[in-house]
Amino acid sequence: MKKAIHYINQFFAGIGGEELADHKPEIREGLVGPSLALNSVLDGEVTHTIICGDNFMGSNTEEAVKLILGFLEDKEFDIFIAGPAFQAGRYGVACGTIAKAVKEKFNVPVLTSMNEENPGVEMFKKDMHIFKGGKSAAKLRDDVKVMADFANKLLMGEKTGSADEEGFFPRGIRAQVWLENGPIASKRGVDMLIKKLNDEEYISELPIPELDRVEIASPIMDLSKANIALITTGGIVPVNNPDRIQSASATRWGRYDISNDDRLQSGVYKTIHAGFDPAAADADPNVVMPVDAMKAYLKEGKFGKLHKYFYSTVGTGTTQAEAMRMGKEIVEKLREDNVDGVIMTAT
Amino acid sequence: MVIMCNLIPVATTVGANKIVPTISIPYPLGDPQTPKEVQWKLRYHRVGVALDALAEDIKEQTVFRVKI
Amino acid sequence: MKLELGNFYVKDVLFGHKTYYKDGILTINKEEAMNFIREDEHIIELDLVIAKPGENTRIVPVKEAVEPRVRPDGRAVFPGVTGDLEMAGMGRLHALKGCSVLGVGMHWGSFGDGLIDMGGEGAKYTLYSQLINICIVANTDEEEERYEQQKKNTAIRMAAHKFAEYLGETVKELEPEEVEVFQLDPVTKRDDDTSKLPSVVLVMQPQSQMEELGYNDLVYGWDMNKYVPSFMNPNEVLDGALISGSFMPSSSKWSTYDFQNFPTIRELYKEHGKSINFLGVIMSNLNVSLEQKKRSALFVAQIAKSLGADGAIVTEEGYGNPDADYILCLAALEDVGVKTVGISNECTGRDGASQPLVTLDVKANALVSTGNVSQLIELPPADKVIGELQALARDGLSGGWAYDEVLGSSVREDGSVIMENNAMFCGDMIAGWSTKTMKEF
Repeated sequence: MKKAIHYINQFFAGIGGEELADHKPEIREGLVGPSLALNSVLDGEVTHTIICGDNFMGSNTEEAVKLILGFLEDKEFDIFIAGPAFQAGRYGVACGTIAKAVKEKFNVPVLTSMNEENPGVEMFKKDMHIFKGGKSAAKLRDDVKVMADFANKLLMGEKTGSADEEGFFPRGIRAQVWLENGPIASKRGVDMLIKKLNDEEYISELPIPELDRVEIASPIMDLSKANIALITTGGIVPVNNPDRIQSASATRWGRYDISNDDRLQSGVYKTIHAGFDPAAADADPNVVMPVDAMKAYLKEGKFGKLHKYFYSTVGTGTTQAEAMRMGKEIVEKLREDNVDGVIMTAT
Repeated sequence: MVIMCNLIPVATTVGANKIVPTISIPYPLGDPQTPKEVQWKLRYHRVGVALDALAEDIKEQTVFRVKI
Repeated sequence: MKLELGNFYVKDVLFGHKTYYKDGILTINKEEAMNFIREDEHIIELDLVIAKPGENTRIVPVKEAVEPRVRPDGRAVFPGVTGDLEMAGMGRLHALKGCSVLGVGMHWGSFGDGLIDMGGEGAKYTLYSQLINICIVANTDEEEERYEQQKKNTAIRMAAHKFAEYLGETVKELEPEEVEVFQLDPVTKRDDDTSKLPSVVLVMQPQSQMEELGYNDLVYGWDMNKYVPSFMNPNEVLDGALISGSFMPSSSKWSTYDFQNFPTIRELYKEHGKSINFLGVIMSNLNVSLEQKKRSALFVAQIAKSLGADGAIVTEEGYGNPDADYILCLAALEDVGVKTVGISNECTGRDGASQPLVTLDVKANALVSTGNVSQLIELPPADKVIGELQALARDGLSGGWAYDEVLGSSVREDGSVIMENNAMFCGDMIAGWSTKTMKEF
């Protein structure tokens, strides 16, 4: 039989309310409070219940997580379920915090449930399945059932459905699905337009997500002493593409020594980017990677030092996750070489 | 970091903070239809704008102006 | 403008000693047909192969698909391409339905080429598994692009257009089983009941991003890179005024067959006079610089506004930077008070977690989504391959690769494949056939 471990707070464990929210983590064999409900609908056994005070988790997070991960070290379990936390903010954040830590350490599926008003939703919805729960404990059985239905599919190795079908908050992971006997795209489009024209409700199939914001870096104080590096996503590489960077959906990057070049020569460098007409970049790679202009400014003393390598990869079809990983790897190299600023060209 | 690119809406969408415009996707810094000297002038100017931008203290996402 | 489309429903295609059509059976004299295709001396190796739905057959690299058609009055099916320039969109046209002519590389593939599985699990990824495909499998003397990732594929693509017309000749003099009528009165001369309805335009953004001529979609034989948006009658699109090109990753492409049957045009016709007043098509394009992208969006918004459009559907033949053209166009239309719906695919990456379009704008608040270009697909070996399977891995097809540390090559020794949806021939069916959508998981 598959095994589950359940996390709840001090209140649902029947220990006490606000006055006992500093309750230190403990683990009990068997069922406590909501675990009874969970165990009754789960195709598996809830073997242990972990109880922790919300305030303890909130103010001694590191210690709480460490203790709980310690409890779990010698336990066998196939899934970890926290909550439901309803609208209780600290409880929701606690469920998210511990579930995330358990997932990272033990690589088992983790589930929780919260009301949409719970701040834990925004904080953790990308890290795990958070099911849409009720506002208060009156919904306990319903919320537990929704989580258990999904957990059962995972435990049995069955296919799980979309966020809407299963009832969890979108995690920002989008995949294609076939609409069964569904209307074709043109029909969906025309119907959507007619509704929009008649001011009726419609559902966009691609809701515009919130945009990422990046913290603004502090400016370089003295350019004449600064070490500047060049990066491109335009796929400029030595003609034999030594790092075998893919021409689309890249997962690799390369860096190439330009310390002895005044400019990138055609025939020595070219682009391997498949997303645009390569003719101009092959004829003169400096139109994508302006080594010549940088060398000119270097000679004039406009900036202190040109980093000896330029870095290159291909931007087309490359996933954000791969781009982020490559970016981090490149930044690490740049840090090692004390680079102060970067000019990146994109195509 | 300064990004030099043509598709400003892409750069603003992904959250780049310092942006210097270039002239196209396949040839950001030199139109092959124009003489080499014209391409060089354009490239030299825009790379210079990018270098200056590195030293600029900005408070919000900024698209820097170029003259050529 | 009134177009009569006479349909002949093809139930089977066979080789025989004469080329003719009778009772739903298209018979082809293979030798005569091959001689006709070889009239283009650039075709140096040739075979003609028929692939039927349900067969365990894999076709790759597919470059083009065309519906066989003829005009009984002798005009060219593709004006400016297969014959003289004449206005398209009116008169009588005969079509062999349920089949298509495919242009397939005998050896060599290129970035925009795709794969079709006629049966098994792979069949669901493309509409073309449902058609009887008459495959021109050819090698050409186009040495200058032999080892280029980007190929114009001129000889094979043109052969497909000409051969589709050649097969259409079989029904030139015959009475069709059914005649569909596509008719729009001039915009200013419509009856009151129609004029009262909300006015709608379709904005099409065909692929035109190669600055060197010969790769892009053509309108009346004209390369759409050198083009600014203009107003067209939807019948012109259905009637061969547009020809597909050779650049965009395959799943995002519109083949010539797609233009000839454009489902979104057909859907708008269905609602015309009932719930909308379908004004026509604003034919735009896709560009490579922001200035060009903005210019096209301005032209589109102005034409829509001047025509009095209340609503617009915008659809793009592409993904990646073309999303910028798409979103700019949607926003420009919303800015002049035209309510919009967009139809396109997404690129959320193999893990599904990437930003779905490269630019986003809250004004694009009504979008239909037809698939994820980068979804990984694994398919078992097929009994028969038409073309050359290695092309998927070797020749830089978008969606195929020769080498990957984790996944290995796209083409495995046993003939099974692992690829991105990108390489499925017209796989995201952005023209409007897609029953796929995108959901959060």
